[in-house]
Amino acid sequence: MKLRYPLILLAAVTGLPHPAAMAQTFKPARPVELVVHTGPGGGSDVLARALAIMAEREKLLPVRMVVVNKPGGNSAVAAAYLAEKRGDPNTIGLFTGVWLQTPLVSPEAKVTLRDLTPIARLVLEPAVIAVKADAPYKTLADFIDAAKKRPGALKQSGGSNTSRDNVVRQLLQKSTGARWVFISFPGGGERIAALIGGHVDIMVIEPEEAGEHIRAGNLRVLAQVSEHRLPGFPDAPTLKEAGFDVPVVPQVRGMVAPPGIPAANVAYWEDFCRRLTRTASWKKYIADNQFEDGFQGAADLARFYDEFTMRMRGILEDAGVKTVR
Amino acid sequence: MDIVTGLLHGFSVALAPANLLWCFVGVFLGTVVGVLPGLGPPATIAMLLPLTFSMSPAGAIIMLAGIYYGAKYGGSTTSILMNVPGESASVVTCIDGYQMARKGRPGAALGIAAIASFVAGTVGVVGLMLVAPPLARFALSFSSPEYFALMSLGLALVVLLAGRSMLKALLAALAGLWIATVGTDPFSTTSRFTFGQLELLSGIDFVVVAIGVFALGEVLANMEAREDAPLLEVPRGLRNLLPTWQDLKDCRFAFVNGSVVGFLVGTLPGGGSTIASFLSYGLEKAVSRRRDQFGTGVIEGVAAPEGANNSETGGALVPLLTLGIPGSGTTAILLAALVLWGFKPGPLFIPEHPDLFWGLVASMYIGNVMLLVLNLPLVPLFAQVLRLPVYVLYPLILGVSMVGVYSASGSLFDLGLLLAFGLLGYVMRKLDYPAAPLILGLALGAGMERALRQSLMMSQGSLSILVSRPISASMLSLALLILLIPLFGKFNAWRLRALES
Repeated sequence: MKLRYPLILLAAVTGLPHPAAMAQTFKPARPVELVVHTGPGGGSDVLARALAIMAEREKLLPVRMVVVNKPGGNSAVAAAYLAEKRGDPNTIGLFTGVWLQTPLVSPEAKVTLRDLTPIARLVLEPAVIAVKADAPYKTLADFIDAAKKRPGALKQSGGSNTSRDNVVRQLLQKSTGARWVFISFPGGGERIAALIGGHVDIMVIEPEEAGEHIRAGNLRVLAQVSEHRLPGFPDAPTLKEAGFDVPVVPQVRGMVAPPGIPAANVAYWEDFCRRLTRTASWKKYIADNQFEDGFQGAADLARFYDEFTMRMRGILEDAGVKTVR
Repeated sequence: MDIVTGLLHGFSVALAPANLLWCFVGVFLGTVVGVLPGLGPPATIAMLLPLTFSMSPAGAIIMLAGIYYGAKYGGSTTSILMNVPGESASVVTCIDGYQMARKGRPGAALGIAAIASFVAGTVGVVGLMLVAPPLARFALSFSSPEYFALMSLGLALVVLLAGRSMLKALLAALAGLWIATVGTDPFSTTSRFTFGQLELLSGIDFVVVAIGVFALGEVLANMEAREDAPLLEVPRGLRNLLPTWQDLKDCRFAFVNGSVVGFLVGTLPGGGSTIASFLSYGLEKAVSRRRDQFGTGVIEGVAAPEGANNSETGGALVPLLTLGIPGSGTTAILLAALVLWGFKPGPLFIPEHPDLFWGLVASMYIGNVMLLVLNLPLVPLFAQVLRLPVYVLYPLILGVSMVGVYSASGSLFDLGLLLAFGLLGYVMRKLDYPAAPLILGLALGAGMERALRQSLMMSQGSLSILVSRPISASMLSLALLILLIPLFGKFNAWRLRALES
C-alpha cells in the first residue's frame, strides 16, 4: 500500500510501464459479477449480498458488485462457469469448503480450486460440539466413553458425509476407537430439530446456530472445534483442552477468480479483500455470525488448498468414501 | 404478555402508517412474483435484502413476510389459466384448476383460490398466535420415521389421483420416484444417473418437470386439434366470473381441510407447502362424495390445496420464530435476514422481542385482507387471457413456461430438460398415463428416500422403527388403508356379480 505512489512516480519518471506499477493500476471498469454456488437465500448468497453492500458503503470498489447465482452440481456449476470466464477481469466468485470437497468425490466436477485463481481466504467458521441439555454427558470424554460401550448406538446429525461435521467425527473416532453413527440431513433446520427433539445424541454445530439454544437451556456445549476458545463460549474447552489432540478442521469461505487473469488483477482483488476485512462493517458481520476472521492472501491460500485436499482425501478414504481425484 | 394485550400492541405496531405501507408493498410484490412462474419468494426476498438495512426491523419483517404469503395467493393464477404452476406449492392446483378454466369457469377457480387463501391464511395466523410454542414442541417429536410415514401417506394418495388405470398411475409414480433419485446420493456422495452431466449433480428441479409435463404436454397435445376459434368460452360480467354461493357451499370442508392440514404440515421442519398442498388435495378427494369427478374440474380440488399452501405459511413461521429453526427455503432466508439485522432468532426471540412478533402477527391479519381485496378484482382481468385465440395463447404459454424456468435457474440445461419433459408429457397424454402421480412421486421421492435411510441408520438397520413409534405407525396404517380401499371396491363388485349369476 505504502509503495503505490512512489512506484507510479517511478513509472512516470522513467516513462516506462513498470510491471509493479501496472500491478497497481488495474481497476474494474464494468460492474463486477460476484458468482456464488447457491440460489438466492443460500449461505454464500447472503454473504455475497452483504459483501456487495459493504463494498458500496465503504467505497471499496469504483464499480457496483452484482451477485450472480449459479446453483447446481454442489458448486460444480459455479466452478465451471468461472473456468469458462478465463481471463475475464470483471468476474470473481465466492467459494466455500464444498468447492474443495465436490471435485474430490464427484467425477463430473472437473474444475478444482487450483484450476481457478485463488484470491484470498476471508472467513473461518468455527464450530462447537453440543448435546441436549438433559443428556447424561457432561464432557466430550463422557460421550466418547458411552460410544465405546455401545458401538454404533449413539447418533450424530449433520450435513453430507463430506461435510466438516463428519470429518470431525471421523477424526475423533480414529483417535479414540469409539464408534457412532452419522446421519445426514440436508437442511440445517432438520439437523438441529433432530438434536433438540432427542432423535440424535450429538451435533457439530455453528456457534451462531447453537447460541440461542444454549441460552434458553436446550443445549449444552461439550467442546469447541477451534484452536482457541471463542468469545461467545469462554467456559467450553477446545478439542485439545478436552484431551483430544485431533487436527482442527476449518470451514472456509473466500474469493476466487477465473483462470488466466494477470497478476495485476490478483493483486487488486487481494488488496480489496484485505481492505474489506479491515472495515467496521465487516468486523460487525463477523462478530454477529460468530465467525473468525480468516484472512489469508493468494499464495497462502493455494498452499492451504493443497494441504486441505490431501488431508481431506485421507479422511474420506478412512470413512469409506471413494475419492475420484 | 397475554394474547389480547399482545395482539392490541401488535396492531399498534402494524397500523403505523409506515408499516402499513411496507405491508402493502410486501403483499403486492408477493402477488406479482407469485403470478410469474420461476422467480419465487426466496429469490425476491434475497434481492430485496439490501433495501431492508435502512428500514426499521418491524417494517422489514412485515414486508418480507408479506412477500412470502403474498406469493402463495398469486401462485394459482398461471396454474389455473395456463396449466403452468407459478410456484411448487401450486402444482397440484393445475389438476382441477386448469380443467375448470377449460370448462369456462376460470373466474370461479381464480376466485375460490383467493377466498380459500384468505380463509386458510387467516386460520394459519390464528394458529401461529395461539398455539405456537406448544405446537413447536410437538413438531419436534417428528423425526425421520414420521416423515417417511407422512410421505408414504402422500404417495398412497397416488391411488386417489389415479385416472382410469391403477397400473398406469403406479407406473407413472414409479417414474417420478426414479427421477427423484437423479443427482448426488446424499449419504455416500456417489453420483446417480448423472450421465457425466455436472448440471445433474444436484438433481432435477421438480418445478421444471411439472411445467414441462403439465403445460408443454398440454400445448403439444392441443396443437394437434388445429382449432382456430377462441379456445374457451369465458362468460361476461363480474357476477358470472366469481364463485357462486353453491361453490362456496361445496368448499366448506375444503376450507377447514386446507387450513388444518396446511398449518400442521407447515409446523414440521421437514414439511413444506408442496407436501401440504398434495396431502390436502388427497384428503379432499378421499372424503368427497363426488370422488370420481376429481381431475375434471371440481372446485374443492382448487380450494383445498390453495388453502393449504397459505395456512402453511403461518405454520412454517412457528418453528422459525419459536425455535429459530427454518423448515423451508423461504424461512431460511427470513432467518438469515433476522441475523443480518442483528437479532438472534431462537427460543427466547418472542419473549425478548414482543414488538416484532406481535407486529408481524397483526400485520399478517391486515395483509391477508389486503390480498383478498387486491386479488378478487384481478380475477376478471386475468380471466380475459383465455379469450385469446389459440395462435396467441399457445405461444404465450410456451413463452411463460420457458421464461419461468430460465429465470429460476438461469440455466440453458434446464430449458433443455423442460423441452424433454414437455415431450414426455405429450407422450404420456397420448398413451393415457396420468401426469399427477409422476409429479407427486418426484415431489416426495427424495425426501422419502432420505427419511427411510435416516430411520434405518437410527435403528441400526431394523425396520421395526417405522412401526414401533405411535405417530409413524398410525400414519402408515392409514396409508395402507388408502391403498386397500380400491381393492375392497373391486372385491365388492366381483362379489355382487358372483351373487347375481
